[in-house]
Amino acid sequence: MPDRQEFIDFILDHYENPRHHGALDNPDVVMRGGNPGCGDIVTMYLKLGADERVEEVAFEGQGCTISQAAASIVTEKVLGKTLAEVTTLNHELVVEEMGREVVEHRIRCATLALNTVKAAGRKYHSGQATKSAAEAPVEDF
Amino acid sequence: MATVAKTFSAAERRADFPILAREVRPGVPLVYLDSAATSQKPLVVLEALDRYYRHSNANVHRGIHTLAEEATALYEGGREKVKRFINAASTKEVIFTRNATEAINLVAYSWGRANIHAGDVIVYTAMEHHSNLVPWQMLAQEKGARIAIIPVTDGGELDLSGLDDILARQPRIVCVSQMSNVLGTINPVTEIAARAHAAGALVLVDAAQSVPHLPVDVRTLGADFIAFSGHKMCGPTGIGVLWGRQALLEEMPPFMGGGDMIRRVYLDSFKPNELPHKFEAGTPAIAESVGLGAAVDYLSGLGMEAVQAHEREIVTYALDRLEEVPGVKVYGPAANRRGGVAAFSLENVHPHDVAQVLDRDGIAIRAGHHCAMPLHDRYGLPATSRASFYLYNVPEDVDHLIDGLYKVKKMFG
Repeated sequence: MPDRQEFIDFILDHYENPRHHGALDNPDVVMRGGNPGCGDIVTMYLKLGADERVEEVAFEGQGCTISQAAASIVTEKVLGKTLAEVTTLNHELVVEEMGREVVEHRIRCATLALNTVKAAGRKYHSGQATKSAAEAPVEDF
Repeated sequence: MATVAKTFSAAERRADFPILAREVRPGVPLVYLDSAATSQKPLVVLEALDRYYRHSNANVHRGIHTLAEEATALYEGGREKVKRFINAASTKEVIFTRNATEAINLVAYSWGRANIHAGDVIVYTAMEHHSNLVPWQMLAQEKGARIAIIPVTDGGELDLSGLDDILARQPRIVCVSQMSNVLGTINPVTEIAARAHAAGALVLVDAAQSVPHLPVDVRTLGADFIAFSGHKMCGPTGIGVLWGRQALLEEMPPFMGGGDMIRRVYLDSFKPNELPHKFEAGTPAIAESVGLGAAVDYLSGLGMEAVQAHEREIVTYALDRLEEVPGVKVYGPAANRRGGVAAFSLENVHPHDVAQVLDRDGIAIRAGHHCAMPLHDRYGLPATSRASFYLYNVPEDVDHLIDGLYKVKKMFG
């Protein structure tokens, strides 16, 4: 298992070089999630293909290192998965990847992006998905 | 006559607080800079709690047996000490609650529901802690009352330029903190109280950050109610104080119902007890009163002028050193207008990240909105980092904080 410093380096790498960062032009669903306790916000964009498989994903956001690095990590996790698979992803996935010791006191920051993308999946299935970031309200997680 | 503050040595007083000797993890000593959230406890308080439970524990009032009488005397003894500490006229004016929050809620429920009607105006400031906002918002919603707000300047002080206009609306009550838990600002509550009284309003002062850190005399303060918490002033958690003018408290209906707050109960009605018991339903925080009494004795031994002078020195040093660090912005007024609190931001680093990196070096600060979301909205900030000081903090604690901030900068640089 990586040591604490390796987890921190991993998190800082995702924070400083975020994967899939930005907005998608014609997303099938946009979801914004916020953490009112500390002011973190992430916006997740998904574009779906056959079988509701995530063909493209992107995120934008602002907030602490943990919340933004987690969003970058989550984009890697959901790419290529079906929405049904995305909605069953577990918090443990991010917590273990980021290092339990580093994020255990900041679980809300670490899981904000995952909660947001799972909510995006549920929203899409309910037929109420928003396709524009400007129209998406920030939902608290 | 000007009083010269007695001095004490904070470095020596550290030995009174056993927790300050602990290491957060092996080889990493604790640097405690979070006393605005809760203070550490001196040995005399820990011993008073221990002695009470080992030797005298029993329920209070109406007991005939020896232990019940001892427990009652100790519980009421704590009240007497608090009375003297804030110079209240009588122990009838000292109501024990769980904390400052419950004390404010007591006034909002009891006085508020009897006296606030549709269209009445309630005033509070934009720098209040949530505990001095939400109870009034709940009351206003329930009664259809209106709220008027005293704004905060860019420099972190109350903007009183519109106070006359607010008071012209004949508010029923003006609620103001004596010292901000974020900015450290010491507000001119005596002046505000005089003006509010002239307009016919009552004044509630949130003294949670002031009673622990500076001399407070309720006979000269000018307030009608003050609220504070024991745990922020070297005492235990679970006990707080509402002080109110006796005539007002006498008129107010009971808050919670139950044992101890009654004189006589019938199957379909009750007669309330006398002050202060009228507002203390159920078994109270007995050991905590004993502990708070010991805390008050400890603080009185040092002298509150000396405590304030010491914290002024530390915060002056802290502001100087924080301003040396590139990218640090400190919020609030100059050191000579504040207590021992410094909220700051570090450019491009989220406060939670700052706090987590500092924690690795044993430095305990708080990051977040510090239960003052509207104040953070005022400055367009989701959160700040906050270092807060008490009688046991020394300049070396500030040095550790500054070294830690340079480490944070290096990590995120």
